[in-house]
Amino acid sequence: MQLAIGVTSGMKLEHILKLSAVAEKQGLSRMWIGDDISAPHDVFVSASAILLKFKKLHVGIGVTSPLVRNISTIARAAASLSEIGGHKRFTLGLGVGGLQDLRRLGINATNPRDMLRNATALLNAALKGETVMFIKGNFNLTRYRARYASEHEVPIFFGVRGPKLLSLAGEISDGVILSGPKTYVRKAVSLVHEAIRTSGRSAKNFRFVVWVPTVLVKRSGDLKLVKSTVAFVLADTPREVLELAGLRYDDINEIREVYQKRGIDGASRLITGSLLDEVAIYGDSPKILDEFEMLRESGIHEVVFGPPYGIRPEAAVNELAESWRRYS
Amino acid sequence: MKYGLGVNVNETIHDTVEKSALAERLGYDYVWVSDVPEQRYAPVVASAIASRTKRIKIGLGLLSPFVHSPMQIASSVITLVETYGNRFELCLGPGDRNQLRRIGIDLSQLGGISERLLAARRDIENVLQKQEVKCAIWLGAQGPKMLGIARSFDGVLLNYGSPDLLEWAVDQIGHVKAQDFEFGVYALSYVYAKHNPNVYNLLKASCAAVALGASRSILKKLSIYKEVAKARRESEAGVSLESISASVNTRLVEFFSIHKHPSELNAYLAKLSKIGIENVVFGYPQDYSKMTVRELSRALRSES
Repeated sequence: MQLAIGVTSGMKLEHILKLSAVAEKQGLSRMWIGDDISAPHDVFVSASAILLKFKKLHVGIGVTSPLVRNISTIARAAASLSEIGGHKRFTLGLGVGGLQDLRRLGINATNPRDMLRNATALLNAALKGETVMFIKGNFNLTRYRARYASEHEVPIFFGVRGPKLLSLAGEISDGVILSGPKTYVRKAVSLVHEAIRTSGRSAKNFRFVVWVPTVLVKRSGDLKLVKSTVAFVLADTPREVLELAGLRYDDINEIREVYQKRGIDGASRLITGSLLDEVAIYGDSPKILDEFEMLRESGIHEVVFGPPYGIRPEAAVNELAESWRRYS
Repeated sequence: MKYGLGVNVNETIHDTVEKSALAERLGYDYVWVSDVPEQRYAPVVASAIASRTKRIKIGLGLLSPFVHSPMQIASSVITLVETYGNRFELCLGPGDRNQLRRIGIDLSQLGGISERLLAARRDIENVLQKQEVKCAIWLGAQGPKMLGIARSFDGVLLNYGSPDLLEWAVDQIGHVKAQDFEFGVYALSYVYAKHNPNVYNLLKASCAAVALGASRSILKKLSIYKEVAKARRESEAGVSLESISASVNTRLVEFFSIHKHPSELNAYLAKLSKIGIENVVFGYPQDYSKMTVRELSRALRSES
């Protein structure tokens, strides 16, 4: 199993580059950059800066949505990043988009399964330099001739959560980025495996990535950070994910309502110990590594150490990366 | 006068970066990276250029707010500035109507293009200001509607090379204080010491492409509306641009490009300066090879 670092494009690039330097030095596999569309930083430019500054570290967009960017923009940005990075250093993550972001932009994600299926087919064709003709649903490309054929293969991973989209990931994507409660993650792995089998594909090259809130806890006061992170994550978790995780929708909805009315501090008070254990990975380095080991046993190939990392983020990443290097 | 080189994002990023680094060594003030829906993504190419250069200003655009949201455009600029320093400028415009149609954006159906561009400019400026990022925002303009809103930008980059047309455009925009506004040209270009027919053919084809995307008013002003309308129909029927450019009147080269021998360049630039134009970007195919980039540089040095 590999260890990656996760950041979002909303973070200061200076911070992202510092974490990248730690990741490169410690031999971690990859930086995943989430596309935070409400933040004034561009996920593709951030990815380019890492690929240009570091020589070994792989970079993934985790994820961007064809509903918020023209599909041609995603295709040529991916091709340009792949060209800069070289052989398989760049991975494109696709998803539908955050529920709250889409709502704010007035975007209605009707039939996301068809949308992602079509987007993947269009991207694969464009990245091969084909002339694309496709007018259906969210996409309208007419005699679109991609003049940037990627010399290197661009793996397309899905960052999706519901059963139908997980099944689609197993059918057509190169990997899946899973995020959600741990019970859900185990069930999601099974769902994707089932889809891989029924679509007649080989699971050999398919990659399972897990991005779960992870916090290095140095003292008991740090638990406040874990609780607020869990409250934030649960507020944006769809009902079907909660149900797969065996969590009661009404309990979580109460947290969501308190979050909307009174903010993160109020919602954090509703986070129980069992919710913490179900949603986050936290503790000292040995405890976190034990949890990673359990993920490996569930069939996960890559685990993402994502924000908030710890009270001192850079030190936390450094400490966990060093422990990981010794452990692995 | 300031000089820029337009780089072609149809080439590999490696080649574009090499030519940009050469442009910096040769003393060009700018490289401009165009953003075309069928070619590489300009902000990423700009990032690669910035990582290999130190001083040269990097222009991003023309970027169309009909392809990228104002937030996405501002985000690209902010991320570039935070990473590489304050040497980026931005050029906005509607974009090539034929190219946009291929990605599902029909300008003729949108309406209120000028108002939308002005709104996008304001939104971008607001996001940049909040992040305390300074970046000049140019307007890429050709027809009367765009010229009519040019004064709301920090400058205008006019998309043709003919001095008569440029003088007309400057008159359309009207008198503005030099410190508030800059007049510039971003035109197809081939300044040559030794004429290469291959480069000239690329220039002709590109002039034909510009004409195909030009507004009716400009084409009528140039009395070429009928022949370009015919070429548009052929293009939509799948006839190649090369075939069309061979049949199109060579006056297009005169209207839309800077096609000069070094011995003619001095007088040409003097004319532009007299009109009030102090910024010239030599666009495609001037970056055809390192040799053509050097040829232009030598011509400019002898001019100065």
